[in-house]
Amino acid sequence: MAYVHVEQAVKSFPREDGTDMLVLGGVSFDAKERGITCLLGPSGCGKSTLLNVIARLERLDQGYVEIVSNHGESGTRLPQLGYVFQDPRLLNWKRVEENLIFALRGMDVPRRQWDERIHTYLGLVGLLEFRKQYPLYLSGGMRQRVGLARALVIEPDILLMDEPFSKLDQLTARKLREDTLEICARLQQTALLVTHDVEEAAYMGDRIVIFSARPAHIVEVLDNPFSPLERDLDDVRFIQFKKQLLQTVLNLVKEKEEA
Amino acid sequence: MSSLNNFTPTGPTQREETLSVHSQAESLRGATEAPFRRAKPAAAREMLKDVGLRVGSIVALVFAWWVTSLFFPPTLVPRPWDTFAEVSAIVSTGNFFIEMGSTLRRVLVGFGIAMVVSIPLGILMGTLRSLESFFEPPVILGLTMPGLIWAVLMIMFFGLTETSAYAAVAVTIFPMLAISIWQGTKAIDKDLIDMSEVFHASAWSKVVDVILPQLVSHLLAAIRYGLGLAWKVVVVVEMFGFSNGVGYQVVRGFNVFSMKTVLAWAITFLVVMIVIEFGFIGWLERSVTRWRPRVEAWRR
Ligand SMILES: Nc1ncnc2c1ncn2[C@@H]1O[C@H](COP(=O)(O)OP(=O)(O)OP(=O)(O)O)[C@@H](O)[C@H]1O
Ligand SMILES: [Mg+2]
Repeated sequence: MAYVHVEQAVKSFPREDGTDMLVLGGVSFDAKERGITCLLGPSGCGKSTLLNVIARLERLDQGYVEIVSNHGESGTRLPQLGYVFQDPRLLNWKRVEENLIFALRGMDVPRRQWDERIHTYLGLVGLLEFRKQYPLYLSGGMRQRVGLARALVIEPDILLMDEPFSKLDQLTARKLREDTLEICARLQQTALLVTHDVEEAAYMGDRIVIFSARPAHIVEVLDNPFSPLERDLDDVRFIQFKKQLLQTVLNLVKEKEEA
Repeated sequence: MSSLNNFTPTGPTQREETLSVHSQAESLRGATEAPFRRAKPAAAREMLKDVGLRVGSIVALVFAWWVTSLFFPPTLVPRPWDTFAEVSAIVSTGNFFIEMGSTLRRVLVGFGIAMVVSIPLGILMGTLRSLESFFEPPVILGLTMPGLIWAVLMIMFFGLTETSAYAAVAVTIFPMLAISIWQGTKAIDKDLIDMSEVFHASAWSKVVDVILPQLVSHLLAAIRYGLGLAWKVVVVVEMFGFSNGVGYQVVRGFNVFSMKTVLAWAITFLVVMIVIEFGFIGWLERSVTRWRPRVEAWRR
């Protein structure tokens, strides 16, 4: 069980000329526990920055991020995060399985579980036969899937995904979305998924958090009326929901332009 | 048209929306075939040409030597084959192995010491700003100090012992190694460090799995250059009064004014260098960069 709460997050980056560029302009939201929260926003609005803050790679100027993970009787420990980066960020000098081992070792997963975990999660992303291959001999999409497997293999409290499907071809992306949705539902995984794709947000998100353009603030948070199993891409009602969501987003954009 | 809609308030859709069926097929089948396999005969021909060029260059060198020797007395420029006969004499008496062994040992020990010190120092200098400021001046100064002066200093300090040879080699090449590792460390990919942080990699794992592999090409260049420097220094040290080693043999040749002996020892030396360079270092390079597909398409 894990829990993420972002409160009034403010972050700016220094520009070349010494002034500050405000990226996160007071972002607050709660991630859905045991579900996927989609962070939907335009390119450059600060979504990756927010994930980096949550992963403690960047510090906020103001506000805070609260991450709590409870482990039943074993008590509370530092939450473990699995991060699927926007680019694969693999260790190219290590074979696919060694890249997963790198994460397993870092997270202190007992050695006897390694083999089974690698088998499970590489199988899940469809790369079992490339276990011993070096990343640079794989296609871009396959490398991205290795990145996904590396984040899943540690069975994290919270899974952070930064546009993990945006570089895949449509069929692979669709398959991988289905699989990821299923895995997360089965594991009751708390996950944050960054995307700028409305359809993806409607399909993947149990909760959808809509960001404005930079400086980012939250314009709307809505919970998906469809449970993961009900999200049938060909179902008329689901298509209706997607249209609505798209309309909401377009309206927000229009309001912004008029203002 | 695809049904995907991108959320892009600032303009038209940014992502190309193409139904890419081909890439699905590719991802299923593509990489099962061995990557980057060249057609066999073409590769063999390339290699033959390469070897031919290398041999040709050496033959041309010997030829130029021979032509030069026609214009000078043999005491000044000995004929190539006389010199080669001397080389084979040196090698066949077994003399060569003893002398070369001493020299090699001095080079390798000095080199090893320099490596062991410069790798951690270079990495620390590349990581910690304060250490960088502190060690930059001595390292840069060390780089400009001539190896000959180090040799003299070390012999004066340690006397004519093996230690002075080791120390002279180590001190001479150390700054060069440290600089290249330091610069290499500064150039490493921050994103990968971030990644290793997210997955709680230990400090050791960060160095061994993330930083060092990115330094490999810097290290290899440093090793090549460092070995070259080490040979030069060690010969100088040996000339100062050691009673064995290639440098000593060269001095002996000089004392009897035998150009042939001096050249013969120089040649054996070069051969050993070449074996190390193309044999050992080449092998090392191939084995530590196996993960990198060899793409040389842009070279002619
Ligand atoms: N380290 C940094 N230094 C300075 N500016 C930065 C830095 N990282 C990000 N930015 C700026 O912050 C803004 C938000 O970047 P971010 O990567 O979070 O966008 P994003 O929402 O993930 O966009 P995309 O969907 O294109 O990935 C951008 O304008 C970027 O130029
Ligand atoms: Mg981003």
